[in-house]
Amino acid sequence: MIKNLFFCILFSLSVVFAFAQKEKDSLYLKLNIKFGTIRLELNKNNISKNHDTLQISLLKFYLSGIEIEYNNKTTFIQKNSYHLVDIENPNSLQIPICKKNDKTISKIKFNIGIDSTASVSGALAGDLDLQNGMYWAWQSGYINMKIEGKSSNCKTRKSEFQFHIGGYSQPNYAMKIVEIPIEKLQIPNNEIKVIMDLGKLFSAINLKEVNSIMIPGKEAMKIADLSAKIFSVE
Amino acid sequence: MSKIRLFVGFLILIFAVLGFTNLSFTPIYFDIPEGFPKPVYDFKNNPLTEEGFQLGRNLFYDPILSKDNTISCASCHLQQTGFAHVDHDLSHGINGKIGTRNALTLQNLAWSKNFMWDGGVNHLDVQAIAPITSDVEMNESLENVVAKLQKSKKYQDLFEKAFDTKKITGQLTLKAISQFVVMLKTSNSKYDKVLRSEEKFSEIEEKGYNLFKINCATCHTEPLLTNNSFENNGLSVDAILNDYGRMKITQNPKDSLKFKVPTLRNIEFTFPYMHDGRFKTLNEVVKHYNSGIQKSKTLSKQLEKPMNLSDNERTELVAFLKTLTDKEFLFEKRFSYPKEIN
Repeated sequence: MIKNLFFCILFSLSVVFAFAQKEKDSLYLKLNIKFGTIRLELNKNNISKNHDTLQISLLKFYLSGIEIEYNNKTTFIQKNSYHLVDIENPNSLQIPICKKNDKTISKIKFNIGIDSTASVSGALAGDLDLQNGMYWAWQSGYINMKIEGKSSNCKTRKSEFQFHIGGYSQPNYAMKIVEIPIEKLQIPNNEIKVIMDLGKLFSAINLKEVNSIMIPGKEAMKIADLSAKIFSVE
Repeated sequence: MSKIRLFVGFLILIFAVLGFTNLSFTPIYFDIPEGFPKPVYDFKNNPLTEEGFQLGRNLFYDPILSKDNTISCASCHLQQTGFAHVDHDLSHGINGKIGTRNALTLQNLAWSKNFMWDGGVNHLDVQAIAPITSDVEMNESLENVVAKLQKSKKYQDLFEKAFDTKKITGQLTLKAISQFVVMLKTSNSKYDKVLRSEEKFSEIEEKGYNLFKINCATCHTEPLLTNNSFENNGLSVDAILNDYGRMKITQNPKDSLKFKVPTLRNIEFTFPYMHDGRFKTLNEVVKHYNSGIQKSKTLSKQLEKPMNLSDNERTELVAFLKTLTDKEFLFEKRFSYPKEIN
């Protein structure tokens, strides 16, 4: 009897360890969010190529549908791959992808935003839970990306700008695919370091004219297109 | 001997697992009334249980969903009026703030493809977040609702009973509300009973039914009495509200002035009528369709020719509309304020 109990405990412990072990052996996507060459800090002045002085106060977005392509032409597709990235939550900048293996990675693919299927599937859990606030209420749909901040160039209340980018149906389907080839043969520390450079985004936006986008549409599509082009691998 | 040990060990494991599993869910079978189509709502993703329904019912009647704990779903959706907001043309929410539309009825939602007057909401499970976060309705965040529920012993227990977890989430909160509202099914009006040959229309109701089939049933399709589409029914634009309906959602000029075709069930009690509650009585509504249609580019094709009903015919039509009243639904105790739990 006691032996059996011992067996049960042993079994449960081994399950726990198995999971713990898995985390250690994972390949991660590590996000390095920058503005130009320096690490982005919230509420600090940045100067864009357009000479806009701006501060970013909030940055949240969905990174979804992670895929890894290997040199031997095989592909790993992460299941249920929806990750809410919040610059204020360091854990969210380290996204576990899969168990590390010896194969050489040739490419990483992911989406910025949420696909249309998840957008019409009702109340979902985890990072897709509506309580995360990345959702429009009066018109269903996830907000793929929120960027908020201030710039003296915005002739708005408190000089604020707000970009809430989303839209799940054509022609305003705002989810964008990012594909980055990886040339390095070895991934150090089990991490694929992905740089997100907001400097590139803001060098393409004229904050004087565009400073508030809160609905799906053409304006949102422009920002969505731009946002897919600001990622690279270190 | 070792086999017996293994067997005993296996049994202990099973009991250990069962100990963590709540097996006391009481499934609810959602039966489809005779003649009704297949529901749109996917019950597989949110299996109905008595425990989930009762949790949803408590949430529906609880002002905890609003920022200052004053407004519940039932503030604008009263059972005895088909879960509509009686006597208010535009519904009001927190701090007496007034919205821009008349609260819709909540009936037979399992058959609805989209929600709200403009169809902006694409799934029943995400509908509730609209009134919860609207600054003129409940002005609250789902995150904060969850935090308030998590602090409440009553809701900890109700969530555990319904979903076998003490961890309350936005997803479970919304699914529980869905479990209640999806059960608000009405199919026992005189009209339904006549269709089932359990009762007979009076002569005047029968005449009204025939007029209805000719003049109204293309959009107010039987038996749900809506075709779930969006139409411009020829109402003049309110110069203050400037509400162009569906166009706000689709950004397509072809959808200008189109609003959801609402069900006519229990219409005797869901006054005032139209998206802005501009008509107080059924007579006014029938008069509008008879001779008040405003022409515009997007006007529903069905309404291009006026109905031209005589006074008698209009009375007959209204007499039929009153057979859509389902008293069993309006006074069903399971849908009312959950006294027994509080």
